[in-house]
Amino acid sequence: MRTPLFQEHVRFHGRIVDFHGWEMPVWYSGIREEHLATRTSAGIFDASHMGEIFVKGPSCVPFLERIQTRSIEKMPRHKVCYSFFLNERGGIIDDLTVYCVEPGERYMLCVNASNTGKDLAWLSSHNGEGADIDDASTGTALIALQGPDASRILNSVTGIDLDGMKAYTFACVPTGPYGELMVSKTGYTGAGGAEIFLASGHAPKLWEELTARGAVPCGLGARDTLRLEMGFPLHGNDIDETTTPLEAYLNFAVDLAKPSFIGKDALARQREEGLSRRLVGLLLEGRGVPRQGCACEKDGVRVGIVTSGSVSPVLGVGIALAYLDKGVAEGDEVDVAVRDRALKARVVHPPFTGGALCIIPKRT
Amino acid sequence: MNIPDDLYYTENHEWGKVEDGDLRVGITDYAQEELGDIVFVDLLPEGTAVSRGDSVGTVESVKAVSEVYAPVDGEITEVNPALEDAPELVNQDPYGKAWMVVIRMTDPSAARSLMDSRAYEEYVKAEAK
Repeated sequence: MRTPLFQEHVRFHGRIVDFHGWEMPVWYSGIREEHLATRTSAGIFDASHMGEIFVKGPSCVPFLERIQTRSIEKMPRHKVCYSFFLNERGGIIDDLTVYCVEPGERYMLCVNASNTGKDLAWLSSHNGEGADIDDASTGTALIALQGPDASRILNSVTGIDLDGMKAYTFACVPTGPYGELMVSKTGYTGAGGAEIFLASGHAPKLWEELTARGAVPCGLGARDTLRLEMGFPLHGNDIDETTTPLEAYLNFAVDLAKPSFIGKDALARQREEGLSRRLVGLLLEGRGVPRQGCACEKDGVRVGIVTSGSVSPVLGVGIALAYLDKGVAEGDEVDVAVRDRALKARVVHPPFTGGALCIIPKRT
Repeated sequence: MNIPDDLYYTENHEWGKVEDGDLRVGITDYAQEELGDIVFVDLLPEGTAVSRGDSVGTVESVKAVSEVYAPVDGEITEVNPALEDAPELVNQDPYGKAWMVVIRMTDPSAARSLMDSRAYEEYVKAEAK
């Protein structure tokens, strides 16, 4: 499958790889350069492969209250929140953002590309309330414009005042050349900026204008290192149907106070019983790069496994997310088995570097 | 893609330059482009005896890790000290400053069994398909 921006990726010499059936650029100039451009100026990412699902109608609120983990009953218009679909065991079917388009009437769910089909099937098969579910993924493009210069560039192209918006809100802005833009002050890089939903047909023109004003095209590689530096989990790596939000330190996106949602009982039980493992950060002390699947040991005893690993382009050292047994504390040293070597790493709480916008509150 | 005429090549994208009975070894322009930003290079020490196909080290990029294999039998007599602190040289100058090891060849004619630049160019074209 191709996004509406595929020709732009070719034009910008993107190195195209298969990403869950999508032909996407992994990098253009290089991951490091793109990563640093996003941290210091502005990067632009095609996220059009992600899914956009509208949930509408009189029964949409009770349905959404039950199917995802945030309480949306009092969610104000044009607010965004990070949330999960959980299974009955509290495992994460997908992580998503919920957009309140019209309170009580219309919400948009932005879900992972690789999970869109699975999510739709899950929603349909659990829709006892009879809410209207409308998959708008094909006709919707998503351009992420991220970094300290994102606001200025967006303003120069569209006149939109991102600085005047609060984080985790969005605005629907009609424009002549690009149709209606749904501009969300969110992101997956920690660098600040916007995520812009628009009709597929207008996406190439907006991409061209934003890049002409200096936004650096960034591929999936930089998207991954940027999110990893912030400690943001990636579904399929760090969180999946066998891990819960509590284990991943993502309690903030679960409203255990709301009366009922799928997975709540399992989470409440887990909270009562205590967690056996937690998702933590690892900062390598020497050379080397931890990768997904590397085993972690402490004093010769296996204590966990790396779920995402790379090298931080900002710090120049290996960083990782890993599930480690409860007994391992922040500040401890563990050994990460990278091929035939045991690399020393320090257990830390991400973010690994300071970001302008962090969706994960400081852990207490 | 740069494929100098005066070098020999392997199917694993190493290059070798014959210098008397020695073979200077690195990875090709194609290999560095495929790997992307190189962040670490780890090489075996001088004095290590290697057989053709043995790993002489690893090249790690942001996305992936790749082994570097000995194109010939012999002994490592030199290791490029610059790559420890400047692994990005592999991206910038793969055939020059980013040479990796020098192997004293057991059989000084062994390099002739490797691909020449024309054969390697064909090989890369076929692989890219």
